[in-house]
Amino acid sequence: MNNLNPFVKPNQTKPSCMEMLQTILDGEASEEQKQYFKGHMDNCMPCFKSYDLDMALKQLLQSKCCGGEAPQDLIEKIKIQISQKSAQ
Amino acid sequence: MELEEAPKQHYTDKEKGEIFNNEFLPHINSMYNFGYRLTLDRDDAKDLVQDTYLKAYRFIESFQKGTNAKAWLFRILKNSFINDYRKKSKEPNKVDYQEVETYYNSEEVDRQITPDLRVESLKDMIGDEISNALNSLDVDFKTVIILCDLEGFKYEEMAKILDIPIGTVRSRLHRARNLLKEKLSEYAKSMGYNKA
Ligand SMILES: [Zn+2]
Repeated sequence: MNNLNPFVKPNQTKPSCMEMLQTILDGEASEEQKQYFKGHMDNCMPCFKSYDLDMALKQLLQSKCCGGEAPQDLIEKIKIQISQKSAQ
Repeated sequence: MELEEAPKQHYTDKEKGEIFNNEFLPHINSMYNFGYRLTLDRDDAKDLVQDTYLKAYRFIESFQKGTNAKAWLFRILKNSFINDYRKKSKEPNKVDYQEVETYYNSEEVDRQITPDLRVESLKDMIGDEISNALNSLDVDFKTVIILCDLEGFKYEEMAKILDIPIGTVRSRLHRARNLLKEKLSEYAKSMGYNKA
């Protein structure tokens, strides 16, 4: 049985909801912290709602803003320049 | 140019070629995306990426084989952008850091400051809204979103890439997310998504 909040900082300050949520969102949370936050969301509507929105946004960013490919001519140009440099 | 504090390595030409092909080149798509989001111009992005790769090769002995090539490359690109590209362009693009630093420490953090943006309206944005909103952010805010949300870098890596303390990475990310949501909320409103 463990009721300790794993987000509590070394100086014993209690983290705010926003701080806990950000740690999760930024991919910096430990397994223990993730578990704790899941439980916390059951009793905290603002966190539950924010988490939903922020995660949706993060996923959308990943699907809409990456995945493009570098132009082939750029890759070729770089390769040629490097091979010339290493031949010197 | 100091990119890493690691002692200088010694590589044969063959090793240099291998590092370049196996550790540097695989990141070219991410590098190009980063370059494009920073410059918002395809040709400038190409120049920036090319420049970055040439620098990476020139300073390859400052890179320790098998370590974090992606972070190293992102750092070079970001520095090239600031030192070479940004100098050429006129816009100062300054962020009020005072505000950013104090923001996170204030009591405001627990208040729900996000405008009434809803998950449903986000999911209706199937066009370029998200991408445009990201592009419209100030360079410093845009950069942390790209590094964290698109590329999955850790706080520690971001701190090294950007030369800022981890606390600043955190507060800048927090602020960047809110700015992005504000932008998207405006879009949603203008498109009538948020009608009650
Ligand atoms: Zn909460």
